[in-house]
Amino acid sequence: MKITDACVHPYPAGDSTVARIAIEAAELGFDSIVAIGDGGDRHYGVEIFRGAVIGAASVKEVLKRVRDPAVRRADVVYVDAGDISFNRAVVAVKEVHVLRNIHATRRNAFDHVAARTAGKRGVAVDISMAPIIHLRGTKRQRVLQRYADILSLQRRYGFPLTVSSDARSILGQRSVREIRGLCALFGMTGTEVTEALSSVGRIIEPHRPVRVVE
Amino acid sequence: MRGKRRYILARILPCRMAVDQKQVYLAVIEAATSLFGDAAVGLAQPAVVFCEGGYAVVRCRRGTEKDIAVALATVNAIADEPAALRTVAVSGTIHALRRRIKPIRPLSGAGDVKFRDTYFTVYRYPRQKVDLVEKGIKHQKSLFFTEADLEER
Repeated sequence: MKITDACVHPYPAGDSTVARIAIEAAELGFDSIVAIGDGGDRHYGVEIFRGAVIGAASVKEVLKRVRDPAVRRADVVYVDAGDISFNRAVVAVKEVHVLRNIHATRRNAFDHVAARTAGKRGVAVDISMAPIIHLRGTKRQRVLQRYADILSLQRRYGFPLTVSSDARSILGQRSVREIRGLCALFGMTGTEVTEALSSVGRIIEPHRPVRVVE
Repeated sequence: MRGKRRYILARILPCRMAVDQKQVYLAVIEAATSLFGDAAVGLAQPAVVFCEGGYAVVRCRRGTEKDIAVALATVNAIADEPAALRTVAVSGTIHALRRRIKPIRPLSGAGDVKFRDTYFTVYRYPRQKVDLVEKGIKHQKSLFFTEADLEER
């Protein structure tokens, strides 16, 4: 079971190179990381997967962007969440693996219909640690509330969750133990956190039934 | 009556940061109060008892160490400079934590390098880590590379 940091932003998007982030991730207990815009190698015992983020205003644009060669090469494809109709449609797109930035959407933006579809298609929802670490006051309260809502939908409909540090710097990375503590703030159990940390491995290598070929 | 206490050893990042104990305390208190509120933090009674060599020891009441450790994870700046506190260990005594402290010293040969029209001071650490700090007086930009990255660029 690979423990994966589902999203990091290496240099030039951040101030730390992917190799440096990989060294820190190894020290913090991770087996692999998903680097946005970079990846495809192994550094210091940590496997680096390539991620691509699609930030689009409409589903049509998402369908166009998933055909981009850079997105096709990616191991994990993320789409930034939007309003309710956008989310319901995007989780049905075959090439989309993870819906992210859910904390920045309105309360009803990810509802039971999107949750059921995500559960059926195996599309994950990303829980980012960055807003919990960096925000304060009512903004952080809203983030924790959203994550608690997502967690209750996940328990009901069974779609996967991923956990990411969303780090642009080594200073934004947190250890597996610290992530467990932060996730406990909105009610996630230790088992659920472990499950979420290993979701990326299952997304990249999904289990398929054994097929006999004659 | 004196209550039972626990001590949390935390590593301060970036390693080269010269930190004042009071600044670390203010950062910890701000993070803990923002997360758990005045009442909970008042009961936990956190305090920074030791701050040296890239490490800080935070004291708290027994039973509250998990919450304080979570609060340490939400510290993102010390004295307005970007920083992080990484919990290393928790113990009932400072003596036991001192044995867990592994001093982090830059390797010899700190030099200067020009990178994208800006001059940086280079700090090299074990495990191929290289920190680049922009030359200047205040709010210098930092970049975190490895030896291989520095050679490439």
